[in-house]
Amino acid sequence: MKSDIKPLPIVEVLNLKKKYGNIKALKGISFSIGKGEIVGFLGPNGAGKSTTLRILSGLINADSGEAKVCGIDLAEEEGLVKQHIGYLPENNPLPEDLRVIEYLNFRSQLKGLQGSRLKERTKVVLEICDLERKVSERKIGNLSKGFKQRVGIADALLAEPRLVILDEPTIGLDPHQSAITRKMMERLRGEITFLISSHILSEVEACCDRMVILSHGQIVAEGTLQDLQRTFVDKTIFEIVTKGNKIEIQKQIRKIDVTCELILDDLVDITGKRRFAFSTLNGEKSAEKIIRHLFTAKELKVSEFHISRPDLETIFLRATKKNWEEKTIL
Amino acid sequence: MRPFIVIFKHEIFCLFISSSTYIASFYFLTLLGVGFHFFLQSFAYTDWILPPLSSLAIGLFFGAPALVPFLTMRSFAEERKLGTLETLLTTPIAPEILVLGKWSACFFFFIKICVLAFIYPIILLFLYPEQGFNLGFTSIHYWIGCGLYLLIYGASFTAIGVFASIMTKNQMVAGMLSFTLITLYISLMALSTSAKKANDENPKAGYDFFEQSLAPFTNGFDKLEQFSVGFINLSTIFHQIIFTIFILILSSVQLNRLNK
Repeated sequence: MKSDIKPLPIVEVLNLKKKYGNIKALKGISFSIGKGEIVGFLGPNGAGKSTTLRILSGLINADSGEAKVCGIDLAEEEGLVKQHIGYLPENNPLPEDLRVIEYLNFRSQLKGLQGSRLKERTKVVLEICDLERKVSERKIGNLSKGFKQRVGIADALLAEPRLVILDEPTIGLDPHQSAITRKMMERLRGEITFLISSHILSEVEACCDRMVILSHGQIVAEGTLQDLQRTFVDKTIFEIVTKGNKIEIQKQIRKIDVTCELILDDLVDITGKRRFAFSTLNGEKSAEKIIRHLFTAKELKVSEFHISRPDLETIFLRATKKNWEEKTIL
Repeated sequence: MRPFIVIFKHEIFCLFISSSTYIASFYFLTLLGVGFHFFLQSFAYTDWILPPLSSLAIGLFFGAPALVPFLTMRSFAEERKLGTLETLLTTPIAPEILVLGKWSACFFFFIKICVLAFIYPIILLFLYPEQGFNLGFTSIHYWIGCGLYLLIYGASFTAIGVFASIMTKNQMVAGMLSFTLITLYISLMALSTSAKKANDENPKAGYDFFEQSLAPFTNGFDKLEQFSVGFINLSTIFHQIIFTIFILILSSVQLNRLNK
């Protein structure tokens, strides 16, 4: 008999609310995260991201609603939940006087590791975060920001958590260091669930499976990048580079899709090549149909074709702007 | 038990690698040693009725407002300032165990300084055995009495210091608050002694109520005389343990309130 039981999500949040005095930080958010996912948590400052992460890591209590990690209710079994979570706070506070290995040994013991298991896990996280050899013997205060960040991530991974919460993990890091952090997460994809809060949208776009966008204490968008593109960007934009006649091209395009509009007309080089950008309401399938037609019409001399996919920044601005406008109207 | 031991060991390590602890201990022990030396020299010409060993206990007792802040001010205040307290609280360790572990480490260090201070009479006994005998350094009940007295009041003073450290992110403020609270406590004890003497001479209505409720916690000066001659007052020990536990519970409550 086949089992239809779905695996439990690692994180389940239902109608979570939190107030600080008169300020409603969270107005009832609900979302879930499956095993092995890497989920990006986005939002402008004051949206409620850090509040949500702090509730999930057991630092603060929600006023109402439900939050479960690995099926365990945070409100009832906070201590048990903390055994399954690794947390990297914003700004990654570390004791400057301790050596890396001393700090990781201390943290391992706090998380319940001992003996050979402690040594094994310390060795594994040092290797994952590339902190072996000389770095592990150095004082944390003498490390660069990039290495300190790796120490923080190593700490979060120590007790083989099922959920790792990273609050701004790449802030202040150079591109090389950010790439190392991304590589580390890729290496652990599928084994560990990551919840990453970040303002660096390119980073989130590069490594996250799904995004949750918060604004003013509410979720304004949730889904994969493709889902969000479909929801928030109603037009598909495509560009062509051609030596052909503009009017003729427009005529040919309109034969396939009457909603297409010319939005850009630029000279590319002195040979007369021009770049035209069109927008269509009928999505990428329509754009693909148009390209097939244009390439068959050799007299149009189309040499390049490109479909622009709106980036996360565009989606973010539209999603949060919509929320801003609704707030203003209300 | 294990989380407590982890925190305790770590805090002891942090106290050992902290330069402020060594500086405070060095100056304190130096001043205490010099004071003890001059006291012994002038002892014959004073009307001091208690054993000379009690002068060390008194020195440590009255020096505690200056010493204890150096031991306790960084226990929570520095962690709050750095933000490392948050990372501590995300581990599966109860806040109460955290308070107990840090307090135990500070108390252990205080005991260590007391033990170092009591090496002076041991050295004198070794170098001048006859004089040491005459001064009562060989009477074990004096040692036990003074030691127990310092233990119980050291426990409560360090608990006050840890509580003060939880209240602020600034180490200096934590130190000043600790100094003020311990000094206030000692002042209350002095007032209680004066009030008792005044009431003995001129009994007042309502004093009995004060005597029964608050005096057991504030009659430390009176009990010093008894402890220093080896007379162990169990009710004083009991009340100081209660007071210490009360302060530690307050500290745990405050720690729980901090992030919630």
